[in-house]
Amino acid sequence: MSGTRNSAVAASALLVIALFAPLLLKADAVSDFYAGRQVRLLIGYSAGGGYDTYARLLARHLGKHIPGNPTVVPQNMPGAGSLTLANFLYNVAPKDGSVIGTFARGMAMEPLLSGEGTRFDASQFSWIGSLNNEVSVCVSWHTSDVKSMQDLETMELIVGGTGSGSDTDTFPIVISNLLAANIKLISGYPGGNDILLAMERGEVDGRCGWSWSTVLSRNADWLAEGKLNILVQVALQKHPDLADVPLITEFADSEDELMAMELIFARQVMGRPYLAPPGVSAERHEALRRAFDATTRDPEFLADAERLQLELNPVSGEEIDALITRIYAASDNAIRLASDAIIGINR
Amino acid sequence: MEVSALELAASALGIMLDPSRLMVLAAGVLVGLTIGVIPGLGGIVGIALLIPFTFEMDAYTAFAFLIGIGAVTTTSDTVPAVLFGVPGTTGSAATILDGHPLAKQGQAGRAFGAAYTASLLGGLGGAVLLAVSIPVLRPVILYLGSPELLAICVFGMSMVAVLSGKAPLRGMVAGGLGLMVAMVGSDPQTGTMRWTFDTFYLWDGLPLVPIALGLFALPELADLAIARRSIGGNARVDTRSGQLQGIRDTLEHWWLVLRCSWLGASLGAVPGMGAAVIDWLAYGHALKTEKGTERFGEGDIRGVIASESSNNAKEGGALVPTLAFGVPGSASMAILLGAFTMHGLVPGPRMLSDNLEITYSIVWSLALANVLGAGLCLALSNQLARVATIRMGLLLPVVLAVMFLGAFQGSRQWGDLHVLLGFGLFGWVMKRQGWPRPPLILGVVLGDIVERYLFISVGRYEWAWLSRPLVILFFSLALLGLVTPMLRNLRAAVGEGARLRWQPRLSPAALFTFLIGAMLTASIVVTSQWNFEARIVPLAVGYTALACAILSLFNEIFLRPETAGAEAAATMEGTGEEPGQDLRTVLKRAVEFFAWCGGYLLLARVTGMLAAIFVLILLCVRIWGREKLTLALVLAVGMTAFSWLLFDRLLAIPWPQNLLGEAFPALRPFLR
Repeated sequence: MSGTRNSAVAASALLVIALFAPLLLKADAVSDFYAGRQVRLLIGYSAGGGYDTYARLLARHLGKHIPGNPTVVPQNMPGAGSLTLANFLYNVAPKDGSVIGTFARGMAMEPLLSGEGTRFDASQFSWIGSLNNEVSVCVSWHTSDVKSMQDLETMELIVGGTGSGSDTDTFPIVISNLLAANIKLISGYPGGNDILLAMERGEVDGRCGWSWSTVLSRNADWLAEGKLNILVQVALQKHPDLADVPLITEFADSEDELMAMELIFARQVMGRPYLAPPGVSAERHEALRRAFDATTRDPEFLADAERLQLELNPVSGEEIDALITRIYAASDNAIRLASDAIIGINR
Repeated sequence: MEVSALELAASALGIMLDPSRLMVLAAGVLVGLTIGVIPGLGGIVGIALLIPFTFEMDAYTAFAFLIGIGAVTTTSDTVPAVLFGVPGTTGSAATILDGHPLAKQGQAGRAFGAAYTASLLGGLGGAVLLAVSIPVLRPVILYLGSPELLAICVFGMSMVAVLSGKAPLRGMVAGGLGLMVAMVGSDPQTGTMRWTFDTFYLWDGLPLVPIALGLFALPELADLAIARRSIGGNARVDTRSGQLQGIRDTLEHWWLVLRCSWLGASLGAVPGMGAAVIDWLAYGHALKTEKGTERFGEGDIRGVIASESSNNAKEGGALVPTLAFGVPGSASMAILLGAFTMHGLVPGPRMLSDNLEITYSIVWSLALANVLGAGLCLALSNQLARVATIRMGLLLPVVLAVMFLGAFQGSRQWGDLHVLLGFGLFGWVMKRQGWPRPPLILGVVLGDIVERYLFISVGRYEWAWLSRPLVILFFSLALLGLVTPMLRNLRAAVGEGARLRWQPRLSPAALFTFLIGAMLTASIVVTSQWNFEARIVPLAVGYTALACAILSLFNEIFLRPETAGAEAAATMEGTGEEPGQDLRTVLKRAVEFFAWCGGYLLLARVTGMLAAIFVLILLCVRIWGREKLTLALVLAVGMTAFSWLLFDRLLAIPWPQNLLGEAFPALRPFLR
């Protein structure tokens, strides 16, 4: 009797070990791999910009949350608006989890929209997460007659843009094409702040594609003095600060139009995307995702972000996977609507 | 108000003179000087890399550090410019023109003395201009709209005429080529890929660093290799006495220093007007306004003074839009802007009211950094001047290696090295054929912003902007600047009795012009597939350049040799020809030199850049310099280790893939 009980205990103990041993071994394997190693965080832009600042901040803290505590080294690999890096990560970079990267927020949708030069399948990347789910706004300067989206049916708004492919060009083009709004784009300003300066001196009436966090950190005085009319917020969900401002998707007339908007503005959710090449082993991918999540809760990381005034609304790798799956299931009609809206140059 | 501003300025000085802050400032200056000496590394690299170290500092100290780095790269970049004709940053290309010939005449010490003093006074001039204009900054900048910025850039472009010496047609062609180079890549208006030939490398346009190094540095090195002598030749190298002479030279030309300093500071405030053109515009200004400029380009000390006093003043100017509006006046300012937000400072009106003390402390940092930087350089320049006596066989391979690594910083792709070599070869032929090179770089830098502001102006105001007073003023100045030298040359040519010859004369010069014409034609043909907005500006530039090229070709073929020759030989740059060299030897040695460069490229593709540097230096020093094997080995090991430490460890550069590493992944960690 006791013999059977003993053997039952022994058997269940064995079973437990048999069940968990692979996990223990695997955890060790992951930390063995990363211990003493350099993880390269490749940035698709040159030093100094927003993607670079976010990535360097992440690199300072991510390592201590990855098993084995590797050093994370940020490296700039600019080229073709970060397309070079996207193609590099997909086709060339080692797939062992020792290389991760960050590139343009709209890159994942690029194969659907234009596809020029893209040599990757966005759903195959090992997504790690996004540091910010951005909400951008379209504003008009207080001297403009345009005070709301409704006014755009009858009056023209001249907005400044920084060049083809940028949010400040894409957003006004898409909005005026999908919603038949009277927005005239004057593009070519060297940077976002140049547009604001042009707005201040009356060269343009507004800016469409301006991240809300930047408005708060840089131009809170304009808000306080009532110098800005906020016309619409561009995102997939409303920002808590902006409950009264309409969300762009509210203006969709049909199911396809709504999907087209989601397809284009999904880039907001992937505001600061991080990912590894496709084919990274499940354990290491998992370890990177959890390390990312842990970093976004790390008080030291948060303090540094606060100091740099970088807005954080972390999005997990799983959420990005889900979003990409949904977007790639869009109807042909929605995709055509979106790509027509995005390339139609409005003049 | 006046008094309180003065009080604030004084208390800001008090803050800056705190010993620990001064130490941090000095550390920044040391980093900046080091970065400035190495071609391809500019203030941006240093600031971006070291910004995390300023997290824990207070705002005053942080800016002292960062400005210390940014302010003095243009002081020490003179060292390689004078010694090797290699600009340390893109801001010292104009210094080469007279600085390097001075070194060849054994007067490197004098060039250094003048350059550092000019840097110092120029930097101070820029800081003073920033300080006194603080009250009027915002209204002035608010007044300058896109049409005005366009007019200023066009005026800058018109300096092409002065910088072309007596070859205005060739200058126009070179300027046009530069503008077209600037338009390579994704067009900002429509996203059309212009002249990218289906390569990703060209999507973002050609990077400036390898172009500048190729155009100005590689031709100098090629000529050093051809001349086969140490830089200073047999001339006695002046050190102490030369340096004092240089300082005296600068003080004597204080009015020139002041003018170039203010020119540099004002232009520095125009976003997009980078260091790479400001030195040339100052040089052109000196050419235009100084008396007796025949020796410019052969070692006139005023050329060094003009260029150096303007490029240090630039940072003061670039701070203006950065502080007042958060619009970065230069690339390093864009990074500094990040540092502002980090310390809770919002660029804008408050920097000039509530935070005025910080603004003044920035001005003081700029001034102190310039003093420290110039002082350190002066103290070291005795030793540096002696480098000119080192044997070419030892020096050249090392400088070449540093230049390859520097050019690679352009965009960190293989393409950078191809650009370096391509522009190097083109620049060398230009130099030998008496084609002016500065217009080309002017076009490359200004092309992008001219097109941007043109589209903004026309898109916003159609043609009404042409009637704005400042636009009219600058356009008239530009037209005057372009037309006067042309007329003068025409009159001179007629006076000398230029006559047509009926037997066409075919020369290498004509062949080169013909090739350029063919290149322009091909480029124009390619544009036919682009949409109208992407095509209109490139076409206008292309046809103008082609017309000038055809006229120039006509001159070379049909004009009497004396007059045509006058145009060829009388650009303000020397052609690099030494007495007693026949064409055969020159060509043979040139082919040899460019073969070494090409060989390096090939080898780097196979083994990675660092291993290739080891081989290049070893072979080059041993075979070409005929030095002892041990010496070659020591140099090769030293340089490779240094490059590895700096670029791999410190700067964490993503090295490009190489063939061996792809074939044998196990070798990858060793093949960088």
